[in-house]
Amino acid sequence: MGCSASLPARNSGQLGALNSEGSAVSDSKNLRVKLVLLGDSGVGKSCIVLRFVRGQFDPTSKVTVGASFLSQTIALQDSTTVKFEIWDTAGQERYAALAPLYYRGAAVAVVVYDITSPESFSKAQYWVKELQKHGSPDIVLALVGNKADLHENRSVSSQDAIDYAEKNGMFFIETSAKTADNINQLFEEIAKRLPRPTSAS
Amino acid sequence: MASDPTSLPSPSDLSIPNPSPTEEERLATLNLEEPTGNHAPIPRPLSNGSSLSADFDTGNEIEVAEEELLGDSTDLAEGSSSHGGGGWREISEQDGEVASCSPSSSGYAGERGSSGASSGIEEVDDGVALQDDWVPGKRHLDEDDASVSWRKRKKHFFILSHSGKPIYSRYGDEHKLAGFSATLQAIISFVENGGDRVKFVRAGKHQVVFLVKGPIYLVCISCTEEPYEALKGQLELIYGQMLLILTKSVNRCFEKNPKFDMSPLLGGTDVVFSSLIRAFSWNPATFLHAYTCLPLAYSTRQAAGAILQDVADSGVLFAILMCKHKVVSLVGAQKASLHPDDMLLLANFILSSESFRTSESFSPICLPKYNPMAFLYAYVHYLDEDTHLTLLTTSSDAFYHLKECRLRIEAVLVKSNVLAEVQRSMLDGGLHVEDLPVDSSRRSRSISPQMTQENNISGSRPPHMALGGPAGLWHFIYRSIYLDQYVSSEFSSPINNSAQQKRLYRAYQKLFASMHDQGTGPHKTQYRRDRDYVLLCWITQDFELYAAFDPLADKVSAIKTCNRVCQWVRDLENEIFLLGASPFSW
Repeated sequence: MGCSASLPARNSGQLGALNSEGSAVSDSKNLRVKLVLLGDSGVGKSCIVLRFVRGQFDPTSKVTVGASFLSQTIALQDSTTVKFEIWDTAGQERYAALAPLYYRGAAVAVVVYDITSPESFSKAQYWVKELQKHGSPDIVLALVGNKADLHENRSVSSQDAIDYAEKNGMFFIETSAKTADNINQLFEEIAKRLPRPTSAS
Repeated sequence: MASDPTSLPSPSDLSIPNPSPTEEERLATLNLEEPTGNHAPIPRPLSNGSSLSADFDTGNEIEVAEEELLGDSTDLAEGSSSHGGGGWREISEQDGEVASCSPSSSGYAGERGSSGASSGIEEVDDGVALQDDWVPGKRHLDEDDASVSWRKRKKHFFILSHSGKPIYSRYGDEHKLAGFSATLQAIISFVENGGDRVKFVRAGKHQVVFLVKGPIYLVCISCTEEPYEALKGQLELIYGQMLLILTKSVNRCFEKNPKFDMSPLLGGTDVVFSSLIRAFSWNPATFLHAYTCLPLAYSTRQAAGAILQDVADSGVLFAILMCKHKVVSLVGAQKASLHPDDMLLLANFILSSESFRTSESFSPICLPKYNPMAFLYAYVHYLDEDTHLTLLTTSSDAFYHLKECRLRIEAVLVKSNVLAEVQRSMLDGGLHVEDLPVDSSRRSRSISPQMTQENNISGSRPPHMALGGPAGLWHFIYRSIYLDQYVSSEFSSPINNSAQQKRLYRAYQKLFASMHDQGTGPHKTQYRRDRDYVLLCWITQDFELYAAFDPLADKVSAIKTCNRVCQWVRDLENEIFLLGASPFSW
């Protein structure tokens, strides 16, 4: 059953997952998926989400507390719709231990770094490893280099990121929440890569 | 602090029948001649509207008070602060000292003038800026202890570890303050090595207050003339705010590694601390240890409480509906009690973290007075611009349940018009001193024979009293002891900017500290006059009243006005307090 692979059955452990309504599929034409954003603080996770969900960009930084929940539905060309239930997590160190609460049961994880910050790229690799270890086995992983508009300050080369993404079977894209560059593409590409339910309900 | 809520009487005291003490007794508590001869008021239900008997202003009391008034006038003419009689002298002298040498009691112009050209920087930033103009987060990051501007700031707060590592500084970059932090640590450990404990150090105009909490040290360096108890209380709140973010289990990191660098764990929370520190000068909850409610019709608050109760019964530990920092309604699961300080810290955390406004959030938070060791999980959602709902649970996977609860609550609140009423109340504001009823007994059942006389004194608001309320009443705060709630009047025109408001709150704070002084107190009444105000404080077993009057106010009228304020508050208690179904278990 496609992305319903992550259902409560596997969450009998100590830390529950935030997916009681399911990260899963409603039917073959209308998908509902749980998506989590992870990455260092200040890389622009919330900005990506707010650009995607509300078409807004607010340059004043608002530090996320815990995690914010937003949802957005997009229509694909094959007339299916995908409803993203997005967990935008806080990047601060103190929340790292709580991340499983948000990513467990997620069908998609978007790992974000800032192309001007090598530290944030290392942090992204930390999250990829953690997701490979503890995330759903069939999770769709996306690596996102944000702040592409600041290319004159770039310090993480696209090639390094592409190589890393390929090695880890991830989808890679560079975005700018500020200019809206590639934001919709990011989510459309994710939607295309989602495993589909094999049979209509 | 002296107002340790654990020492509050148990609610069972409320059921003691009212032996209706005469108002003579009650007014006697306002008699400065005999501060020790007070009759202890007998506990009675707060809702007893008839407790103010008709003959409360007996001739005796007024005459005594008038003598006192003369003395005060003389003092005023000499330009020093008032001295009470007898046992009050100590407090008054303290006050006199402050009034004569403290710039902070004589306004900002004086403050700047007396402490150097650039020393006003901090006060300008903090004091004059109105709430709306205030820029959240830490400023002056470029500063360190070598900067002249940093050294001239009037009030510093530091959190450091027991190994001297900086964790938080109100001003400047923590990392650049490592040396300074180590110095503070050295002072604390030097005294501790001698088997003693340092509480505070006075250095000229500066007071350095220390608070040691296991491996965490908190220090305030201030030249604001605030009393030690007030500054210590502020450090306690800062520590509580830190626990709210991290829990006390952070101590374990120091057990593993004494040199643990804790500052990264507080990443992004500068705004929370700066907002709390700012609240020290505008939010009386920071020293009253009580919360305040948004005025609402009884039925409106009941409607909100009913749906919150419904949700609390479904496994939510606390459901709190607030408008800005004022409570609309709150409900706790059985036996769970919420401390007013926790509410203050939680509201500060929510209001200062902008991200809560953008979407619904689910975040771990700790309520330090509820359980300092464990996280609770908070679902936070703004129902409109100002109104926010917080649902707290112990279960980390309850998000979708809480989201459903919120949808149910929101639907009920919209349907029963609560949200619209909340907005309307925000626009109307709270109690205005100008609206103090001429004689509030008119509103209650008992009609006072003195009513006409009262009318003549200060009733119909003659034109020359356009500033403030009757008898020169500028502002008051009434704290109900059983309810852990306070109500404060809106600021009237004599106190119309945030600098003046801050000055008044500092005066109240000083009053609060002296009233609750464990050495000389607790006291029942205090009347003091300086060049800024006449301040009157009256503490009974039921309530604490803090009132500020025009410095030229007549003492007799001021005392009468205080009685009217108390009656007014009791008349309105259904609307200004959250009554019944209290989650407070003490």
